Amino acid sequence: MAKKVGIVGAGITPFKSRWHEKTYYELAQMATREAIRDADVSIKDVDAVFYGIYNDIFERTAIPEHPLQGILGLQNKPGIRISCGGATGAYTMSAAHAYLAGERYKIALVLGVEKATDCFDFLSMSATPEVIKTIAWSGDSFFEQKIGWTASDSYAEVVLGYMDKYPGTLKSEVTARISSLLSEQVRNNPYAQRQFDQVTPEEVINSRYIVYPFKEMEICVYSEGAAALILAEEETAKAISRNSGKPIVWITGVGESNEHSFAGKNHKNMSHIVSDYLGSHRAYEMAGIKDPVKAIDIVELHDAFVHQLEISLAEFGLVPYEKVDSLIEDGIMLPGGRLLVNPCGGLLYCGHAVGASNIMSAWSARKELIERNLKTALVHGTGSTVAQYTACLILEHE
Amino acid sequence: MAEKKQKVIAEEYIPEVKSRVITIDNKDYLLQNDAMFTFYERSMGEFSPFFLAIRDEKKILGCKCSKCGIVRVPPFVTHCPDCDFTPTEPVEVEQIGKMNTTPPITYFATSMFLDKAPFGRGRVILNGADTALSVMLYTTTGILVPGLIKKGTEVKVIFKDERVGQISDIYCIPTSELTPEQIAKKGLQESELNWEAPKEPEFPPASNEDIAIFKQSLKEMRAVAGEMSRSKRARRAIEGWKRDIAVKTKGGEFAMYINDGNFRIGEEKLDSPDFIMACEDPRTLLDGLRYKGAITDAVIMKKLWISKNMEFNTVFKLDRLARFLVMEKKEQATR
Repeated sequence: MAKKVGIVGAGITPFKSRWHEKTYYELAQMATREAIRDADVSIKDVDAVFYGIYNDIFERTAIPEHPLQGILGLQNKPGIRISCGGATGAYTMSAAHAYLAGERYKIALVLGVEKATDCFDFLSMSATPEVIKTIAWSGDSFFEQKIGWTASDSYAEVVLGYMDKYPGTLKSEVTARISSLLSEQVRNNPYAQRQFDQVTPEEVINSRYIVYPFKEMEICVYSEGAAALILAEEETAKAISRNSGKPIVWITGVGESNEHSFAGKNHKNMSHIVSDYLGSHRAYEMAGIKDPVKAIDIVELHDAFVHQLEISLAEFGLVPYEKVDSLIEDGIMLPGGRLLVNPCGGLLYCGHAVGASNIMSAWSARKELIERNLKTALVHGTGSTVAQYTACLILEHE
Repeated sequence: MAEKKQKVIAEEYIPEVKSRVITIDNKDYLLQNDAMFTFYERSMGEFSPFFLAIRDEKKILGCKCSKCGIVRVPPFVTHCPDCDFTPTEPVEVEQIGKMNTTPPITYFATSMFLDKAPFGRGRVILNGADTALSVMLYTTTGILVPGLIKKGTEVKVIFKDERVGQISDIYCIPTSELTPEQIAKKGLQESELNWEAPKEPEFPPASNEDIAIFKQSLKEMRAVAGEMSRSKRARRAIEGWKRDIAVKTKGGEFAMYINDGNFRIGEEKLDSPDFIMACEDPRTLLDGLRYKGAITDAVIMKKLWISKNMEFNTVFKLDRLARFLVMEKKEQATR
């Protein structure tokens, strides 16, 4: 029988569009210091570290985690880097969970960090085209990079595929309302990149197309920052909790799935995010959740794009596919509705520091479960081309 | 095939060896121009026949599983993963097919594709294939707009005249824009198509009302431009950027100057602008600058014409200028 694993500490740095003042070394240490302080343990108590860093080119080095081992005070301890596109953070938590549940270690540090906007395009004199170029090196190198593949256009393919299958869904007034709602929720997140960037649905609708059908304010923003968790196996977690006085949030379910990267017969179904369906349902099964609609109180999901947020919630079984707009139209995710979705403002408003993002989501889910005294949260990461990768975790507050 | 002598990294992308210092909270931070580059002489390995067929024979190849019969294009595998790795055989597929799903359109591209936007990229299932080939999509009728190519739209593979053996040697356009002869022809080349040349719109003579609208709009644009030039945040949107733009409207012509953070509206006509914008109603542009509708979308929806597609980049900066000014005002109001 695998050991239970719980989150006993968490910390994040502010997410910013640019951290001129810090390198990723310092950002990594900042988040670690916060998490250690939160758990009230010493770094010397930590047995191993799991690094979530997405893209070597962002950090401008291969093996970007190696300098961190000593900087974090973990020399001579085991350290593994996980890199799974946008789902890096979620997969990193999943890997750490497996090692602890398998009794390899008692306490692990999960650390996500990313420094994206050092990239700069000297031709347009702006960072964004170079940031998306850097991500575009993730497209298929034989068949897609040379024809303008981007993360945005590959997710847009899936969104349009969904709209082909379910016409009349993902209405622009609904996606605009969701973006506006997230911009209100972010007010309570002092670490967010866009804490004071509240927008109206009209502003979202009036924002420019980046990649059809995505408008500028329906897309997450690239950030720099770090996020850290302290995970521990059951007995150790209980001891840490007794000492710190903070409740344990248990990881009771974990599920992952990677789809085919190309479409067609026996390949990727472009009208769905099958990995989101499988990842979430595998996590439900492990957590013993029969009816997610009843069980899930909070969802902290990876909202790379608002349309994808809606589809992901449908794949999680939290809203019917053909009635996905009921998230707003029936008030499901509106204040007072049955689901609290991305109280941190999501990656749209808190920001997307890729390797750190899903770990930030877990930080937020844990905080909300404790502060609101709710029971169950779903944390999610999506990534790679055409929403190919998913990792999900179920967090439970006793 | 003749190959253009091109560098794998174009000269204009490469910054000078240089650094600068920025000051935040009275502390100096050093920013250094840098690059991380690796050159390759990359083998196309088992994909070599596919790329050579495109380059030399204007053919599209797939692979067929000798057990289940699935035809994959591109020919991903020498052995079928669905049939316990049964060997596959190369097959040629047709050059016409249907869109697997509605394709997205990229308006804001990466730094390497700024000159190619807007473009569609989607997946076509070519006749004779079971899987979808990822292709760039264009229209011969001007700027690609949503709705023109959808799920099920029939498209044809077009071969560039000069091919180097890369996937970018081909793209697709809707067959509805082709003659029956062109549709029937195998290996149809780019130079055989009729591309509509960008044509500056002509406006009817201006009425007194048009002239009054023009004058009022110009006045309001000057006011907002003044605010933008005074806004620290808005200035960042056009940092290091310089463009002289001639703007033609029904009621009259004027100039917009972007110069490293400064944004100015002038009443004069420009003889040699960097590019021309034309919109019948100057309020289209005024709304954009006031953050009441994106200028990018005005171009997409054909309310505003630009003489160079590449200048989409400048249009994005103008949209960002408007957004940054509003953001600064909001922040000042909140804090």
